[in-house]
Amino acid sequence: MDIDLSPDDLAFQKAVETFLDDNAYKPGTDYFAWRLDWFAKAREKGGWDVPKWPTAFGGPGWSPTQHYIWQRATATRQTPMDLPFGPVMLAPMLMQYGTPEQQERFLPDIRARRVNWCQGYSEPGAGSDLANLKTRAELSADGSHYVVNGTKIWTTAAHMADWIFCLTRTSDTGRKQEGITFLLFPMKQAGVEVKPIITLGGAHTVNMVHITDVKVPVENRVGEEGKGWAVAKGLLQHERTGIAGISNSLVALERLKKRAASVTRPNGTLLDDPGFRTKIAELEIDLMATEYTELRSLAAASSGAAPGPESSILKLKGTDIQQRLQKLTMQAGGLFSAAWGGGKVGPSFAREGMSGYLSSRAYTIYGGASEVQKDVIAKNVLGIARSETRMNKRGDK
Amino acid sequence: MNFDLSEEQQLIVDSVRRFVDDNYDLEKRKKYTSSTRGFGDDNWRTMAELGWLGLPFGEADGGFGGNQIDVMLVMEQFGRGLVVEPYLPSVVLGGGAVRRGGSAALRSTIVPAIIDGSAQLALATMEDQSRFDLNDVLTRAGDDGDHWTLSGSKTMVINGGSATHLVVSCRTAGAQYDEAGITLLLVDATASGVEHRSFATVDGLQAAEITFNNVQVPRDNTLGEPGNGYALLHDVMLDGILAICAEAVGAMEMLYKDTIEYTQQRVQFDHPLSDFQVLQHRMVEMFMEYEQCKSMLLRATMEVAASGSGATRTVHALKALVGKQAIFVGENAVQLHGGMGMTEELRIGHYFKRLLVIDAMFGNADHHLYRFAA
Repeated sequence: MDIDLSPDDLAFQKAVETFLDDNAYKPGTDYFAWRLDWFAKAREKGGWDVPKWPTAFGGPGWSPTQHYIWQRATATRQTPMDLPFGPVMLAPMLMQYGTPEQQERFLPDIRARRVNWCQGYSEPGAGSDLANLKTRAELSADGSHYVVNGTKIWTTAAHMADWIFCLTRTSDTGRKQEGITFLLFPMKQAGVEVKPIITLGGAHTVNMVHITDVKVPVENRVGEEGKGWAVAKGLLQHERTGIAGISNSLVALERLKKRAASVTRPNGTLLDDPGFRTKIAELEIDLMATEYTELRSLAAASSGAAPGPESSILKLKGTDIQQRLQKLTMQAGGLFSAAWGGGKVGPSFAREGMSGYLSSRAYTIYGGASEVQKDVIAKNVLGIARSETRMNKRGDK
Repeated sequence: MNFDLSEEQQLIVDSVRRFVDDNYDLEKRKKYTSSTRGFGDDNWRTMAELGWLGLPFGEADGGFGGNQIDVMLVMEQFGRGLVVEPYLPSVVLGGGAVRRGGSAALRSTIVPAIIDGSAQLALATMEDQSRFDLNDVLTRAGDDGDHWTLSGSKTMVINGGSATHLVVSCRTAGAQYDEAGITLLLVDATASGVEHRSFATVDGLQAAEITFNNVQVPRDNTLGEPGNGYALLHDVMLDGILAICAEAVGAMEMLYKDTIEYTQQRVQFDHPLSDFQVLQHRMVEMFMEYEQCKSMLLRATMEVAASGSGATRTVHALKALVGKQAIFVGENAVQLHGGMGMTEELRIGHYFKRLLVIDAMFGNADHHLYRFAA
């Protein structure tokens, strides 16, 4: 057990930094062309475009240390915008549950970032209780396709997505977790209607998706009919690790310090203010510990196993840290944070003060609300009954 | 010891509550905030007709001779309804400065106009560098005998764009941070050399950046003694803090009650969310913090009504407590509403936004905690 980087790791770090610096975006050039080119070049490096993919599917086969080096390096440098739905979430599920034909059909476009995906999970009646989903998929008489009807909600980036991976119900018998089927279909077709939902920060990132009589060929089903819950759950584990955002928080912490130091006070700056300083220190201490919790989780996962229930700790701690960072940024801006961006008053960081803070409140809701995460830890890690079980017993009386 | 409302006070509460019920919901509020002046002109007239705009002014000036307790009752109901009309800047802040510091002659012209709603005031104290410190003043006024010549700029002036008159803190002597040498002036917003730029704030209200370029202000428009404006400003600020904390308490009440209602309706895992003990306890905490804030509001308001600036320390305690717990209640209201809490569609998000702004106004919770501890 040691924390020194080996000569090989140092060489790797240098190579990563050189790659990122050499391929940085040049202002004024075509962003989307650069984005696709960046991923192509990262691929040529030996799977750097898909760091977490197994080597059998073209991933780099990095050690935990190398993943750590990559995360830290990419957090401090500009990399192309990349939504997790295709490469981070769906791809591992296709590798585990998909047919060779499905892998061949979908993985190359995911990898090249040619096709954008969105996640059809939550519904108006199925949030924390995801298994309660009602979107129907009826198999046609000839068995060639499903007809899908229902409504999905909180669908991030649905308005920019080409395809959706969608949880549907094919049977009402048995437990709620049974009878769920995992389907893939294109977004740009009649019967798929995307309605924006504007959130408190004023942003449009999530949507309502209405699905009406959409035909989905059976070959677009991942896993067996009625067995989609296993796929859905496996995918959520991948969603929850990525959500912690430790590397980004480390960068955001330094940014917060700089911002606080730019707010002048009669005897120095806001960073010299004992109260504000103490809050930043408390945050930094939590972040230092969480950084190592993440490293331990990375090391465990390096054996090839899927991230286990301990990834729930990372989501809880990571999102709490992100929210506190946003809160302190808002507070550093003082009353200027109350002006919407168009006000153009006060320091420029304050212009996203309250809207950034408000958006951050979703971190403890999406990808499994914090209360549900704690249930998962109680049940799967501590081995104690969760309240849901008790509830059901009480309801049975 | 008596926490009961008098008959008159109960009438105020009932009539404001009725006004809020009749004139406010999310749709109507949106209509008001997106209008030119950013509030309901009809509502403003109604407030004048019902006498609310004259509540804290002396009877000699045509007011009702009410005190901070009466204003608290109004503001708490305004908080429940998320009322956007500029009662705070015009009546409590600007009006409070004129009421305390204006000469009899000045009061006789401006106070009736405030009371009938034709004049609107705004308090212009904050500057780019001043953060929460009222004594940090760079805006200057030169003494030119029968008038002052005012130059400088103010920012985040609530209602600054609609105000007909501005109460401006400026330096007539001393250095940047000196309490002595600050003077309060009542400035005609249409005077030559006054320019403003309005913008929306997170809570749906409007604020402005205002510049003064050699603005001539008649000497009669001085509020209080020249150079002694800080003490006056301090008293106005106590009233302002009491008023927005009353508003916050009203908003917190709505947040915890809406949350209870929502969790009783929302079924997940085959049970209403309100069946889950972890959520029950959270709502109990929200309720407790609301009650504690209400207690502190009553304490501070009654102390200020009785002894003015002698109760400053209690007002620091109030703002520190309300700032912290209002955000606690707001955050948990959103959390317990789940994704729905994140949308513009439900009113809880709008209460939450107003509470965030209230915490940032007149010094946030940290600022007042340090002042309290000092």
